[in-house]
This record gives sequence, C-alpha cells and structure tokens, in this order.
Amino acid sequence: MIKILNGGIEMLVEDWPGRMGYMGLGMAPAGAADHLALQLGNLLVGNQPGEAGIEIAGGYCKFQMESDGVLALAGTDMEPKINGEAFPMWEAVPVKKGDVISLSHFGGKGGFRTYACIAGGIDVPEYLGSKSTCLFGNYGGFCGRKLQEGDLIKTGLGDSSAAGRKLNPKYIPEYTHVWELRVIPGPNSVPDYVTEEGMDYLFSTEMKISHNANRAAYRLAEVPDYFWARKDGGKGGSHPSNIVDHGYNMRGGINVTGNTPSLLIADGPTLGGFVCVGNVINADLWKIGQGIPSMDKVKFKLSTPEEAVEARMELKKMLEAKDLFVS
Amino acid sequence: MEYTLKAHMPGLVARVVVEVGEHVEEGQELAVINCMKTEMSCKTEKAGVVKQILVAEWDEMEVGSPMIILDADA
Repeated sequence: MIKILNGGIEMLVEDWPGRMGYMGLGMAPAGAADHLALQLGNLLVGNQPGEAGIEIAGGYCKFQMESDGVLALAGTDMEPKINGEAFPMWEAVPVKKGDVISLSHFGGKGGFRTYACIAGGIDVPEYLGSKSTCLFGNYGGFCGRKLQEGDLIKTGLGDSSAAGRKLNPKYIPEYTHVWELRVIPGPNSVPDYVTEEGMDYLFSTEMKISHNANRAAYRLAEVPDYFWARKDGGKGGSHPSNIVDHGYNMRGGINVTGNTPSLLIADGPTLGGFVCVGNVINADLWKIGQGIPSMDKVKFKLSTPEEAVEARMELKKMLEAKDLFVS
Repeated sequence: MEYTLKAHMPGLVARVVVEVGEHVEEGQELAVINCMKTEMSCKTEKAGVVKQILVAEWDEMEVGSPMIILDADA
C-alpha cells in the first residue's frame, strides 16, 4: 500500500500498452506517456514490463510506503529522496513501511515524467483489460482520476529479490530539450491536402511544444499558411485543415487543427474532422511523453513503415537484453 | 525581509489574484499558471504584504521565473 501525501502536478496509475481495442468505440488507449521508462522501471523491480506504475508528471509530490517493498524510479531525474536522503534513479531500492519518498521537479537535464514502479505492481481493478487511467473519460486507474493527498493505493504481492538491481548505464534513455521524432507520412500528407513546401517546413523546423500539452495532445507551434494546398476544407469545413470526419491515426498522429499541429497521444481523440499528416513511430512515442510543455521542441525526421517496424523490434530486443542490468 | 514567489511550472500566467499592499497568509494562492490545459495554483510559502507584481496575464513563465515580491512578515 502507498499513501499519497502530496499529489504534485499529476500522478496517475498507468500501464502499457493501455486499453487496446476500443478506439472504434471512441475510447482512447490511455497508457504510459513514456512507455520505455515504465517498462524499464517494472523490469528493475522484477515485474512484467507492462505492469501498472505511477506516472509522475512535473513532480513536486510526496508519498509514503504503508508496507515494505522494492521501489524503482525510472524517467527524468526529479532528485528523489527517502526520508530526506537522496537515492538513485534507475535502481531497485528496498523501502520500509513508513518511508517517505519525495520528489522535486523535472530538471535541467531534460524530461518531464518519472515512473514509480513497485515490486508486485499497482493493484487497481482492470477496466476493459487495462489498469490505465483515462483522464478525459474519468475511468480506469485509481477512481479514474489523478492521485491526491490521502489516497491509499494498493500494491500487488512482490518479492524483494530485485533489490539492488541497477539499469546498465548504456540503456538509460538520453533526455534532451529538442526531441527528434521519426515520422511516417499519412494519411493526409498528399498534395490533395498539403503542399510539398509545407511538408518540407514540417520536416525541417524545430517546433516548440505549447503550454497546452497534456496526455491527450501535445500542441506545437503553428505551421505557415503555405502548408495548405486547398483554399478551404470543401465539404469538411471552412479551413483547409478540415476534412470529412475520419478515424484518427494514433498514438502519435500529427493532427493539424487550423494551422496548429498537435501530437495525439495516450488520451487523444479517436476521430474528428482535421487532417492527420503523419505519425510518430511507436519506438519514439516515449519521447513525446518526456517533452516539457512550454519549453522543449520537437523535430520530425522522415521515416518509413519498414524502419518503424525495425525500430520497434530493436526496442523490444533492448528490453530483453542479457546485460540490461548490472549489480 | 523580501520573499519572491517564483513559477513552479512553465506556462502562461492565467491571472494574478492579489493586489499590491494586500496582506497574504502562508499557503495562500497569489497567482495561477496555465499549463497542460490545467490551472496550476501558485501559493506563497510565507505570509506578508504584496510589494510588487512582476507579471501580467499571458506572460510566459519558465520554472523559477519571479512573479510576485512580498515584504514577508518577521
């Protein structure tokens, strides 16, 4: 059991790959915004990689262990402390009942989210096959909402055998303030909708993440008017970003509303009437979750479906690497 | 003694909810930052009198940007 003493900016129960199979019914998959950090954190404490952990965005939070266990923090370094004493990220640390874990906030080294993974996982009921919280639907996770002061979160039955396990430093993800995201085109990246010059702009410009960036969408800086091939959206609407409603490609879709591109992620809309001009590949989705709103930038790099599949397999191989841990 | 309320999150100033000369209590909300499509309360860690307001609505904040200066109570 974990007791929340201060929920900080945003603490949520999230697993991976989230709630799959319901987009056709309008339900976003939710799931960890940084699936790589969550999976590494879970492996550190001896869990299955997709087990639920606590996603901590921004920091400024504090929680207390209500039972003994093993804890690992994976993600951006929020200068964690146990009872006021610093302890390392990316390491399975034994914790005792009564220990207070406090986190400062995201730092200058880059990254915005950290995952608290406990041996045995987080024991919340699965809803439609997932423990993930969907904030915009208010379902899943712990009561369908952010964690707040006084919440008691049940943990699963874990053992202490993973205590002391450290992630091999070569596998610690590199954090930055300019995130390169590999993108495959489509489905509206064709000359019927956008100009070649417009797509060149998209793939050659560092685009700042807006303050309006959350688990539904990461809004980016605007594209210029010459992005558009049409004067209007035809039957779809008055702006050239409008099309007749269609199912969105997500997670990772680059959806353009007016002149504003947004990266649709965990809790994003499943359909709508705006163009999707590209899709961030699955292996790079984690980088979006680490982008700091109103601060970081993203840069798109043209990729192919074949490269996307290969990158996904490489990531899976990395999670299964024999030298993933050092003692 | 002066105390400066600093932004704890990047984002835009949604509003300042105090005026110069007003006495405020520890833990009181002085301003609100808009980030992640959420309003985030900026609370003072000290009681005192508002001496200077350094920000206005829509100003862009970084973490640590000074927002409001108080003459803190002794």
